[in-house]
Amino acid sequence: MSIVPKETIEVIAQSIGIANLSSDVALALAPDVEYRLREIMQEAIKCMRHSKRTVLTAEDVNSALSLRNVEPIYGFASGDPLRFKRAVGHKDLFYIDDRDVDFKEVIDAPLPKAPLDTAVVAHWLAIEGVQPAIPENTQVEAIVAPSENKKSENSKEDGLLVDLKLPVKHVLSRELQLYFDKITELTVTRPESILFKEALVSLAADSGIHPLVPYFSYFIADEVARSLNDLPILFALMRVVRSLLQNPHIHIEPYLHQLMPSIITCVVAKRLGSKITDNHWELRDFSANLAASVCKRYGHVYHNLQSRLTKTLINAFLDPSKALTQHYGAIEGLAALGTSVVRLLVLPNLEPYLQLLEPEMQLEKQKNEMKRKEAWRVYGALLRAAGKCLYDRLKLFPGLLSPPRHPVWRINERVATSQSNKRMSSTNLSMQQPPLKKVAADGPTGALQPIAMTANLQGAPDGFPARSSGTGVGQPSTSGQVPMKTTGGRQEKGGSVAPKGSAVLAQAWKEDLDAGHLLASLFQSFGEGVFSFIQPVEMSFFI
Amino acid sequence: MEEEEIQKAVVAYLRKKGFTNTEHALQEEQNRVSFSSNSDHSVSRLENGPVRYSDGYSKLRLWAYSSLDLYKHELLRVLFPVYIHCFMDLVAGGHVHEARIFFHTFREDHESMHLRDLQKLEGILSPLHLEEIELSRSFRQNKFKIKMCEYSYDLLLQYLQKTQSFTMRGVINEHIDFEVSPGQPTLSSGDADFVTIEGRKNDLARQINQKEIHWGLLEDSLEQHLERPKRPLDGGKQGIPVKMVKKDKLVSMVGKNVRSETSAVSVAPRVKPELTLPATLVEVEQAILEDLRSRVQLNNLALPSISFYTFINTCNRLNCSSISQDGSLVAGGFSDSSLKVWDISTIGQLVKTSSLQGEKESAKNENFPATEERRKPYTLFHGHSGPVYSTTFSPFGEFLLSSSSDSTIRLWSTKLNTNLVCYKGHNYPVWDVQFSPVGHYFASSSHDRTARIWSMERIQPLRIMAGHLSDVDCVQWHANCNYIATGSSDKTVRLWDVQSGECVRIFIGHRSMILSLAMSPDGRYMASGDEDGTIMMWDLSSGRCVSPLVGHSSCVWTLAFSCEGTLLASGSADCTVKLWDVTASTRASRMESKSSSSNRLRLLKALPTKSTPVYTLQFSRRNLLFAAGALSKCS
Repeated sequence: MSIVPKETIEVIAQSIGIANLSSDVALALAPDVEYRLREIMQEAIKCMRHSKRTVLTAEDVNSALSLRNVEPIYGFASGDPLRFKRAVGHKDLFYIDDRDVDFKEVIDAPLPKAPLDTAVVAHWLAIEGVQPAIPENTQVEAIVAPSENKKSENSKEDGLLVDLKLPVKHVLSRELQLYFDKITELTVTRPESILFKEALVSLAADSGIHPLVPYFSYFIADEVARSLNDLPILFALMRVVRSLLQNPHIHIEPYLHQLMPSIITCVVAKRLGSKITDNHWELRDFSANLAASVCKRYGHVYHNLQSRLTKTLINAFLDPSKALTQHYGAIEGLAALGTSVVRLLVLPNLEPYLQLLEPEMQLEKQKNEMKRKEAWRVYGALLRAAGKCLYDRLKLFPGLLSPPRHPVWRINERVATSQSNKRMSSTNLSMQQPPLKKVAADGPTGALQPIAMTANLQGAPDGFPARSSGTGVGQPSTSGQVPMKTTGGRQEKGGSVAPKGSAVLAQAWKEDLDAGHLLASLFQSFGEGVFSFIQPVEMSFFI
Repeated sequence: MEEEEIQKAVVAYLRKKGFTNTEHALQEEQNRVSFSSNSDHSVSRLENGPVRYSDGYSKLRLWAYSSLDLYKHELLRVLFPVYIHCFMDLVAGGHVHEARIFFHTFREDHESMHLRDLQKLEGILSPLHLEEIELSRSFRQNKFKIKMCEYSYDLLLQYLQKTQSFTMRGVINEHIDFEVSPGQPTLSSGDADFVTIEGRKNDLARQINQKEIHWGLLEDSLEQHLERPKRPLDGGKQGIPVKMVKKDKLVSMVGKNVRSETSAVSVAPRVKPELTLPATLVEVEQAILEDLRSRVQLNNLALPSISFYTFINTCNRLNCSSISQDGSLVAGGFSDSSLKVWDISTIGQLVKTSSLQGEKESAKNENFPATEERRKPYTLFHGHSGPVYSTTFSPFGEFLLSSSSDSTIRLWSTKLNTNLVCYKGHNYPVWDVQFSPVGHYFASSSHDRTARIWSMERIQPLRIMAGHLSDVDCVQWHANCNYIATGSSDKTVRLWDVQSGECVRIFIGHRSMILSLAMSPDGRYMASGDEDGTIMMWDLSSGRCVSPLVGHSSCVWTLAFSCEGTLLASGSADCTVKLWDVTASTRASRMESKSSSSNRLRLLKALPTKSTPVYTLQFSRRNLLFAAGALSKCS
């Protein structure tokens, strides 16, 4: 009936030398033993409370015993919790695991370190009711780094704070560290390998790498700054950035401020890569698209993101002292941001810029072939940007070119212009001819290829452009321009055919919408190169 | 036989009259008697007893649970007293085994409300124990008081009559007082309010609580000193137009005469001290006035700054700590019977210029060798021979008192760094000791169930307050020094008149042992905190609980009122300091004092520490809050 069974009493009696305890006595004693036990526990709990503790210790039981004038029980050092073991073969019999200690071992053991002495440290739990975010207080926010000035405030306690754990410890698991090390190593050493491609896929999809984002962004910023001369690495880094941006599980917004400069560097840097053969143009295009995609995705979060980016780019674009490579990057960047950006920022500056660019592209004025080549590149980029803009406009106003009368009329005009063009070119007046040829070569690259290709279909399929002296890159061109090119290819001194043509066009399109003006002005600037951006069906009307 | 004839006659009479119920009862009684007539009468009753109790109780329980929802909660209240008394009756009758079974069968019903009582009663295994445990004794001697509406009471009576359960009827009659109120049944919330132990003791408590107490502040206090010189000063300094000054003077002239009466009525009545108070030194007075002048006003919008002193490397040995009024000294009492005092103002310097400081100090006091002093940033007080359970600084910080499990209280001087007096008087560990607000006198409370009042110059206590039924766990002075409050393990708080030594108030309402007490500076309210984390605010004059504060999840070790009494700070074992709005709650309660005390003190702010239980809280005179606790590593 009591939780202390009769048998326990008998065992205890035996242990203190009473062999023949009658079971009646044991039965009578059992409830009293339980009662006394409870009494002692009640007193022990009082002692515990007055020691301002919530855990009962052996010490409390001993002081409760001494309260009742009972000899305390020795040998149960408090401190660490006692370890009980279950007796073999018994369900509810426990004993304390009391190991035999070799006396010699104890003597030979070195003295343990003296425990640290009790000390008092002071801190502000609250200042006018608000908890300051210092290491001594619990963290209200998730991560609050202990700032320097706060440290100095508490400098007088610093000496005593030794064994207070610093709260802000960003713990990275071993796996994540390994992962990070592997990825960075791959990026730097073997950007061409298949493994790196796998890594990029993992970066774009893995849900658990969020803790690594700050490290990656730092790594990218650091590495871009360091390896401006190493194109493969730069490309690899930009690919890593793209993968990170693609990853839907990570929040990269807080680190964009660190990543954006690196991306922009890869767009508008003066020199990227060390060798002449390095195709840094491709990297610029890639990075420009990356920057534009960042703007598209996070522009609503950071309102000044796009404005800052465009400002940077337009500054690079309009600064004549900057290298042509930088201009190219800037144009590409702006073009990637969309046609409206191009229309608002690039087109107004188009004419003055082209005048600036013109001498660079001419063999006579620019003897350095490298430079000339660059100038052609820039020209191509401009044309592409403007052309895309035009294409967009024309798509907006599909009716523009549809009236049945006009096409015919226009074709006539077109023919006229081309004829005049031919005529003029023969008089060595065509200034715009070389650009056209260039455009023909450059036109089909990148995003515009499909258009150009469709344009290609209607012309002679075998129309391959002759390799002009200026362009090193042979690319399929639109056959529509072939005749002009072949004729104009030799006309290095371009005449003013285009202005004439454009004047005709402008006259013809007087009644049309601004898209017409746009086309006109573009034609004025680029000559017939722009026609590759007009939709194929319309194109057919032209030719 | 003659008897049988009489019985027959009686039965016939009952039948004729149609008293079937009575007839049945008679037959039942007869059967029982005839059944037991073979053996000894008393034995049969005892054998029959246990079954009667458990049957009766389970039937009552079933009935109560299946009663109408509207009256159910009122009827359920009856179960606990019946349960307890059935159990104790069984034990008293010697049916210990049956009592156990009974106890465990129905224990679950009451665990949520009365767990601690059940734990204590569980150990009762013989009639002797009933006498020994104070809880069971108080249950036996007193009556439960249950409030219920008329209809519930009728229902209960009907049930008891119908079922013929004499045992239950007996138990209920014997131990429960019903306070039947007309009208609708009360709402089910707050069961504790409706089941209280009443009876002889409670009559006593009610009687006691009707005594008059003067909770007003002392006349001629320093705060008044502050108000007086302010007026002419303000008038002179700010150069208010002459008329205004004149008016002001008039007011102040009148005020001087009238204030004692008007303020006594409206704001806080002033009372004369019953003890002869020690004289305060002029420079001390000046310092206090300076403090009062630069006091920060706190209210529910302006919360205090809290400076937290953390004890590190204590290895769970720190039992108590206290902070001097100005926060410059921190004392810690340890379970290895040592007492350590840190001077916070020198802590920073000691680290940097330890050698210099050390030499200076060692030259000053020769108690400690220089080497030791250099190493330790604190002063060590040795003297006790048992764990130190409480320490307290005198109001001006020059003395320190400590109480220990060796049943002594020791007075230490913080200037001389030595023990001055050892007060022996208690017979058991002294749990708490507190200096009076004016110094010189102090109160102590002990495991010997008494609280005592001492003065520093006598080694014998001046008064012994006896009356608590269990350990007196904490003690606190009233602001006017005429009363002390004591909290006990018997779950009551008592207020004692210092001069007469009489108990003048009993506050009943806590459900577990009282751990901390605080008196509001205006002397009107008292806060008490218990083991479960409940804090209760009491109105001293009425003896009623103003509002219970629920928020802490573990023992409330300490409570402190801000100097104007607008805020209450509480520190707990759940590692938080909480700030409560006093004014809002008391104002609300004054307006609707008659209605149920459902309004709760508003919790303004909970400030968690980093795994440091808060042992002590102390508002300085300038309203800076100091807190202390020992870092307990749980990692």
